[in-house]
Amino acid sequence: MKYSNEIKVGATIIIATVIFILGVRYFEDLPLFRGTHQLETELSNAAGLIPGNVVRVNGVVVGSVDAVRINPQTNGVRVGFHVDSGLPIPEGSRTMVSGFDALGVVRLDIALGPADNPRIPEGGFVEGRVTTDLVAELTDRAPLLFDQVDEIVGNVNAVLGDSRVLLGSDSDLQGALLSARRSMTTMDNLLRTQQANIASAIENVNGASGSFNTFMEGNADSLAAAVSGLNATMAQLESTLDGLDGTTAAIDELLGKLNRGEGTLGLLLNDETMYHRTDSLLTSLQALIDDFQVNPGKYLKEMRLVDLF
Amino acid sequence: MPLVRTLLVEPAGSVGRYALLLWKAFATLGDMKSYRKNIFDQMVHVGLESMPIVALAAAFSGAVTTVQAAYQLVSPLIPTSIIGSIVVPSMILELGAVLTGFILAGRVGARIAAELGTMRVTEQIDALEAMGLNSVGYLIVPRVLAGVFMFPVLYVVASFVGITGGMAVGVFGGFVPLGEFVAGAREFFQPFDPVFGLIKSLVFGFTITSISCYKGYFTKGGAEGVGRATTEAAVMSCVYLLVADLFLAVTLL
Repeated sequence: MKYSNEIKVGATIIIATVIFILGVRYFEDLPLFRGTHQLETELSNAAGLIPGNVVRVNGVVVGSVDAVRINPQTNGVRVGFHVDSGLPIPEGSRTMVSGFDALGVVRLDIALGPADNPRIPEGGFVEGRVTTDLVAELTDRAPLLFDQVDEIVGNVNAVLGDSRVLLGSDSDLQGALLSARRSMTTMDNLLRTQQANIASAIENVNGASGSFNTFMEGNADSLAAAVSGLNATMAQLESTLDGLDGTTAAIDELLGKLNRGEGTLGLLLNDETMYHRTDSLLTSLQALIDDFQVNPGKYLKEMRLVDLF
Repeated sequence: MPLVRTLLVEPAGSVGRYALLLWKAFATLGDMKSYRKNIFDQMVHVGLESMPIVALAAAFSGAVTTVQAAYQLVSPLIPTSIIGSIVVPSMILELGAVLTGFILAGRVGARIAAELGTMRVTEQIDALEAMGLNSVGYLIVPRVLAGVFMFPVLYVVASFVGITGGMAVGVFGGFVPLGEFVAGAREFFQPFDPVFGLIKSLVFGFTITSISCYKGYFTKGGAEGVGRATTEAAVMSCVYLLVADLFLAVTLL
């Protein structure tokens, strides 16, 4: 059957057009024979998002970004995208940019809202979460990071230097290890030379242990009686200690009363009034005696010797 | 003086003749009667008959790109999916259009220049004019339109076959699993890429056919002139194709 040139050319163009459309949808990861749902969102920062980047829900690619432009009214970034029409995007959903621009893997992620909510209509708006540019953030923090890295590298160098000194041929650690090795060698030689003596000593210890066991078996009754007596003594001692505890408590109480100035003895120890009175009495008595020695007649003029004796 | 003539006057004359030829061609676009039947013949010659060689070249280009990408880039630190993200954009953005352009510059461009050159030196074009036919509308417009319409079709075929060839070699050669190839291609795919490829192929189609028509239409010097025009058509088409490629890349990407 011979076809005209018009039919050949027309069929070729149609087939090429179909291949082109299906190929583009295939590499956009869109269903080949199903429609798409057009939506919009607004972000504070595009973070490298460009048309063609994929749109994902829970990590699954469901569409792609169509347009990214500045919204002059809000100075935000208006992003147009489409998703598979078979996936309802409920109201309350949120969009955010993920991925890393430097690796060329920026994506628009959608966090779906409650499934009970009504579906966002064609051309509808999905709220965007506040996003930050990862590269810009890294750039801002770079000086601080570099300082910290410098500090860490300096510390590591210092530690390595110390380690080198510690592990050096003339270091203390090296000397200690050599000394330990010498000691181990000496110990080894000693063990080799004294092997017979050590064996003999172990045999003696075994013999002594056997004798002790024999002794223990033969004097078991005596030992039981001695332990019983020791227990009784311990019980008496415990009783004595209880009495001593009571005595100590009484002494503590007595000392407490004395410290608090309770009772005669407490007042004597804590009240200074008696001291002062006694001191005053002694002073007065001293004055009287002095006066008596100076002027005995003053006290004896009215007395006769006979009266005195 | 000869230097000035060579560097300025002759190029200016060539540009002028080329522009006037195109002007005449565009002016006869409305006169579809003069080229309606001829355009489908030219579409078959330019498009359908070129398809096997274009598909063959594209399949091998895609396959070689896959193997070289695997050879150069695959390491424990780089995922094998990188092969897909190299082969597919390469075919869509550059190889599909430029490879088709080079093949058609040699095949179609040389054929057009030889046809028109022979008609010119054998005074067939003069005979057409003498019979009152618009030779530009009858000979040049269908060839240029055939190139403009069929180059994008060939570009689609080349890209499709090239990607399929690369994918097949990658999978059956054990370089990359099919899923990773597709995942890598999708990761870096941008919808504008195939549109850019279509624009390039359209521009290449116009460039190659119009230059070849110009060279053939103004052929002088008998059989030797036809040979020279054919060679010049193929060479100049390739040169201006590369210039147009750079221009489009700078302006559109």
